[in-house]
Amino acid sequence: MNAVLGVLAPVIMTFLIGAIIIVAIGEDPLTTYSVMIKKSLFDFNGLMKTLHFASPLILTGLAIAVTFKANIFNMGVEGAAVLGAFFATVVGFSLQGVPHVLHVVLCLLTGVVTGILFALPPALLKAYFRVDEMVVTLMLNYVVVEITKYLATGVFKDPASGYVSTYAILDSAMFHKIFGTDITPFFFVAVAVFAVMWVVFKKSKLGYEITAIGLNPEFSEAAGMRVQKKIIILMVISGAISGLAGAGFLMSEKYRFTLDFSGSPGLGWDGMLISLLGGHDPVGIIIAAIFYAALKTGSEYIGLFTNVPKEIVSVIQSILILFLSVKFLNGRFRLSERIRGFIKSRSRSQAVAGEVKGDLQ
Amino acid sequence: MVAIRTVNLTKKYGDFTANDNISITIEKGEITAIVGENGAGKTTLMNTFYGLHRPTSGELYVWDKKVNFNSPLDAINCGLGMVHQHFKLVPSLTVFENIMLGIEMNREIKVSGKLRIKSPIIDVKKEKEAVQKLIDTYRFELNADDIVGHLSVGARQRVEILKMLYRNVDILIFDEPTAVLVPQEVDELLQNLKELKKQGKTIILITHKLREVMEVSDKVIVMRRGKIVGTKATAETDPAEIACMMVGRDVDLEVKREEKDLSGKPVAYRVQNICTENSHGKKCLDDISFEIREGEILGVAGVEGNGQSELVKVLSGLMEATEGTVTLYDRDITNKWPDELRAEGIAVIPEDRYAQGLCREMSLSDNLISGYHSDRRFCRRGLMQKKSINRHRDSLIKKYDIRVADPAGKVSQLSGGNAQKVIIAREFESDPKVLIACQPTRGVDIGSIMFIHNKILEMRRQNKAILLVSSELSEIMNLSDRIIVMYKGRIVGEVDAKNADSCNIGLLMAGISPDGQNQSKEERV
Repeated sequence: MNAVLGVLAPVIMTFLIGAIIIVAIGEDPLTTYSVMIKKSLFDFNGLMKTLHFASPLILTGLAIAVTFKANIFNMGVEGAAVLGAFFATVVGFSLQGVPHVLHVVLCLLTGVVTGILFALPPALLKAYFRVDEMVVTLMLNYVVVEITKYLATGVFKDPASGYVSTYAILDSAMFHKIFGTDITPFFFVAVAVFAVMWVVFKKSKLGYEITAIGLNPEFSEAAGMRVQKKIIILMVISGAISGLAGAGFLMSEKYRFTLDFSGSPGLGWDGMLISLLGGHDPVGIIIAAIFYAALKTGSEYIGLFTNVPKEIVSVIQSILILFLSVKFLNGRFRLSERIRGFIKSRSRSQAVAGEVKGDLQ
Repeated sequence: MVAIRTVNLTKKYGDFTANDNISITIEKGEITAIVGENGAGKTTLMNTFYGLHRPTSGELYVWDKKVNFNSPLDAINCGLGMVHQHFKLVPSLTVFENIMLGIEMNREIKVSGKLRIKSPIIDVKKEKEAVQKLIDTYRFELNADDIVGHLSVGARQRVEILKMLYRNVDILIFDEPTAVLVPQEVDELLQNLKELKKQGKTIILITHKLREVMEVSDKVIVMRRGKIVGTKATAETDPAEIACMMVGRDVDLEVKREEKDLSGKPVAYRVQNICTENSHGKKCLDDISFEIREGEILGVAGVEGNGQSELVKVLSGLMEATEGTVTLYDRDITNKWPDELRAEGIAVIPEDRYAQGLCREMSLSDNLISGYHSDRRFCRRGLMQKKSINRHRDSLIKKYDIRVADPAGKVSQLSGGNAQKVIIAREFESDPKVLIACQPTRGVDIGSIMFIHNKILEMRRQNKAILLVSSELSEIMNLSDRIIVMYKGRIVGEVDAKNADSCNIGLLMAGISPDGQNQSKEERV
């Protein structure tokens, strides 16, 4: 019950605040929301579009969950996704005359390998030198931004393009749309990874160890789980899935690498939001990813059917991020307990101190 | 004048009584030593004094005024301060900055006449002067300007004391202050304590080191199992008497250990010249050697913090031995990983049940397989076999009489004794060759103690080699065939259980050899 409330409360609160804003513009929030939901989830083409956008988010969400659940904070999912996408692009436009399926697989593999290589340094630093992985992975994201900027404006720039962009990937490396809908085979790749990760989380020895390490690392070490080694394995899995997410998104949607490829706030950060919303549980993540993608699809229809600007969806996303950060911080640092304790001790100690001091004199 | 008086102070944790009807008085201007083994309830009592938790029942009077502390802040406001074993200092700041932390002096700006406004800028000069004056008053060897990170441990402790003194504290509680100090620093501290006493401060010293007690205290209060077992003026007692009071002579839990001749049995487990260092580079195990034969229980006695924890950690693969070897039936298993040790047939009952032994937030079945979760019964091709794991759980709940409301629930629902039984069940079911049991009955109810003791003896009958580490001397004496005593990371004595005498062992535990020769002399060199 509490768990369900923990997931639903931020969403409901977000929509309530969103509603207040819509009312303030002078529009009807109920109509706006119903357009958003109907068009993104209860309309065939809309649903396909939602699932298409959900694909990379399912992956980045899983990439976050696999480390966060073990209390390892890999903030480098965004960087791994971008870097994976970039090198998948390079393979996508430079290899000529490769059969379609092989080319796609090669591109995806490039993304995976890039993601792994990107996740390894912070993993090794964490496991062997106890360097805080949160700081290292966070900072590495900026390294990625600069590297890809340098490469995309220099060696790999498409001179025919009017803005900073690499060459487009070849047709043989693209995920094609199925039956004229927006969905591509990439969605099924994402679902397959989800299925594997569900087994890993719920059924496997590794899942058991992830849970144990997250809850009590000392116990896990004493039980012979070799926490160092597991940290590296989990970071590698996380990096691989992130790289796959970036590569797949590029091959199914963007086709060429631009500097704003990952969007705002970015696939990795969206993934973090989704994983938090889904409680680091695979099923929760897939639901959260579809919900989050539905917001995006819905936003395109809001402008068409109502007078509410579609930016309202950005507002809703931002409020959701705010609520989830509070939830995360509360879980990690016990904010609410501390605040309560602080208020209590303040009011009490003042009373007691006054009494005793008075008596001493 | 009476500084602190307690009337029937009782503190319970669930069924466990940590402090049982404590009624003591602490006189102003005296140094009172409170001694007892670990788990005797000294720290609990002090934490009640210091406002870290509230007593279950009973009253506490400070300066003859009944108090109800809710936090250490209340205690400090009443003039009662505690110097913790683990310092709470900022290493990168100077001595005076540390002392002033939280109560900084701000520069004042004169407006006109008497009206002054506090500025947000700290008055460094004034702070430094105030602290230096305080240092000089108590003749502490310190410089207000030094960076705390550069100071020795002893000097840091003095900063910690000054922090309390600056806050006008008249009653100072020291929680095992010498545990972290080298012998020379101990002497300095004892000097400082005498100086503080001269200045009219009241001091409570928690310790289990008898030399310190004899040297500085005016009064000794001995605690055992949450009760006060004796109060003596220091001048009227001697270390041997205190040691006997501490360990207690009464043996209230008798289990039947049949005598048997072990001389013909092969040696199963052999530890040779093991040394190790802790993370601060301090040597905490020094040349430890022993061997255990099949069907033998070797007891390790000693006051806690003398290397037993480290020994168990080294033997269970959680800490690295810098020197020496461990062999199991002549197979070298030194510094192997915990999972490898388990595979070799070493079962461990770890010291801290909830840190290394169990994961509270995980289910009972998950806890019952931890460490053995790669076993073919529970895990095939990387997948956990839920059905057989649950069957295993149900059979162990029955076999080990684990009283649980919801078998599918988490371990956090279990009482201390039943939680310990989960560990016992898990380790004993693995059919090990060697059992390392560390504090197997700590904080456990009487019924479970009996159960656990009988299980350990059952293992002995099955010809397993058992290492039993406990700070409960009666437990060691009841179960062991042979007893070794650890003091400061070394083995200071070995006794055959047949002619063991708790007072002699008590003296060994306190670092005094029973023939009356005081070992503390050599420590000072």
